[in-house]
Amino acid sequence: MHKNDMILIVIILIIALIIFIVPKINSNQGNKIANVYYENKLIKTIDLSSNLKQEYNIKGYNGNIVIETKDNMIRVKTENSPLHLCSKQGWVENSHEVIVCLPNRIIIKIEDNEEMYDAVVR
Amino acid sequence: MKQIKTLFLLILLIILVGCSNKVTTYNNNYFYMDTYINVKIYSNNKNLVIKAFKEINNIYQEYHQLSDRYQSYDNLINLYYINHNLDINKEIIINEKLYDMIKYSIDFYHKSNGLLNIALGNVIDVWKQYREEGIGIPTEKELMESGSIDIDNIILSDKAIMKKNNIKIDLGAIAKGYATEKVGQYLESIGLNQYIINAGGNVKVGSHYQDDNYTIGVEDPNDTTEIYQVIKGNNMVVVTSGGYERFYEYKGQKYHHIIDPNTLFPPQYMQAVTVICDNSAYGDALSTILFLMPIETGINYINNLDNVEAVWYGLDNQIYYSEGFDKYA
Amino acid sequence: MDLRKTVRLSMLLSLSIVLSLIESMIPIINGIIPGIKLGLANAIIILVLYLYGFKDAFFISITRVFLIGIIRTGLFNIIFFFSLSGALLSIIFMAFSKRFIKLSIVGVSIIGSVMHSIGQIIIAIIYLDTINIIYYLPYLFILSIPTGIIIGLIAKKMLNAKIIN
Repeated sequence: MHKNDMILIVIILIIALIIFIVPKINSNQGNKIANVYYENKLIKTIDLSSNLKQEYNIKGYNGNIVIETKDNMIRVKTENSPLHLCSKQGWVENSHEVIVCLPNRIIIKIEDNEEMYDAVVR
Repeated sequence: MKQIKTLFLLILLIILVGCSNKVTTYNNNYFYMDTYINVKIYSNNKNLVIKAFKEINNIYQEYHQLSDRYQSYDNLINLYYINHNLDINKEIIINEKLYDMIKYSIDFYHKSNGLLNIALGNVIDVWKQYREEGIGIPTEKELMESGSIDIDNIILSDKAIMKKNNIKIDLGAIAKGYATEKVGQYLESIGLNQYIINAGGNVKVGSHYQDDNYTIGVEDPNDTTEIYQVIKGNNMVVVTSGGYERFYEYKGQKYHHIIDPNTLFPPQYMQAVTVICDNSAYGDALSTILFLMPIETGINYINNLDNVEAVWYGLDNQIYYSEGFDKYA
Repeated sequence: MDLRKTVRLSMLLSLSIVLSLIESMIPIINGIIPGIKLGLANAIIILVLYLYGFKDAFFISITRVFLIGIIRTGLFNIIFFFSLSGALLSIIFMAFSKRFIKLSIVGVSIIGSVMHSIGQIIIAIIYLDTINIIYYLPYLFILSIPTGIIIGLIAKKMLNAKIIN
């Protein structure tokens, strides 16, 4: 092992760390929403700030997938796919994080709720 | 190697700073006093928030039942009971919360030259009937003969209430704001200072979750998809009268459910008025009386008050501001 | 071209294909973490790189992707492009670093492994139209390092054996 090998490893680790931290820093503390896309088209928007334990049934390419939300987090609970990769991902809560269900052609993106007002009075 | 180490530490520092500001938003909805109420609490203490939401439900429910004119509840002396089941000249002890609400309103009657009058029940009933049956508008005679509206016919003494004549009490102008104020005070008493309560046009906010200002949009009465005024602030109350509120149209005129005690008719001074102050009950009362006076009178009235500002949406579609409004814009 | 070299390259090509196929059939590995691959075939690619140079390694690498496509994954579908992108970036950067950066064979292997992941992420970002896929990279990187080391060591062993041969 060359000395440069070690430096290389350290550099890669640092880059990994930086990319890892970025979504956590930028995460808006306020309200988040999850956008669900089927074949790159937006089919549902879920408000994560409602905090009730809630389940949603979404039609994926391979059948029904069940999405669960609670406490400002979201995950795919069950889905029909060979490797179950997207339900294995577990709970996701930071802005800019994604859950990818390739066989079902579904992506779930966490974004900040861009509503400009904290409240509206009439 | 040394540079890599310092870079590492720097990144670690960033993580720590980033993580420490995290706060979760909790949201809950209620339906009381004919209003859709939304409460948002920003906190890290989930259990406390869950407990708070339950207690908030209790508070709103209690004030809803106490101020309910149209329904009776078992073992509860509320407005329905007082208006329909209580004999004249008979004294009865009532729930302290109800007592305080009525007392507050009577005090405000005197402070507002009678503009806030919770004794208007009889007149309101006539208007309600005409509105619900869609039969036009009542005549002045009908309204005058509907019953007593003299506030002195409500007599409070030492936890008890007595009514004279056939007075009917209506707390619609103040109940929502009063209850909302209690909810806000409750939240602050248990340390949940970061919250927004939106009770259908009655907004109370605590401290901001990120050291910033809450942004509140006021809907344009002519086009509810538009916001005509933005109000920014912390630890304040924003209340609107007019605009969306219950009204009906007859022969091209809008008849709101806020009644002028002098004319017995709804006023036609403006389309809507929004008040900013620090107490929700006060805000509710103020927005009601401002709706009952011409805009210019209202502007003078507000300018003479400390820590209160207001904005009016005139019949001419013009916007009018109190003097110090800028600090909320 | 040297007949012996052609035969050798063909054998190595076949070997790399077989290794890929066997690898994809091991259920355990693929089930735990998405995208994890031992990348045994890469050991062959690295071997060819060090024995015969960039051109041949490039050829073996790309041909392997096409053949696997024909045999298994299908041609010109998304999985095919994942492989192609990963293989391309991998071999190009490995050759580059072998030539211009002082790294051991293990280091080159790590670079190959890391670039393979990056190649796949790039295709995923384009295909899913979501820049946010990039946040999967840290996990892939962490995995790339040990697999890179292992493959590198395997390649080194093979290289020593081959040279003596």
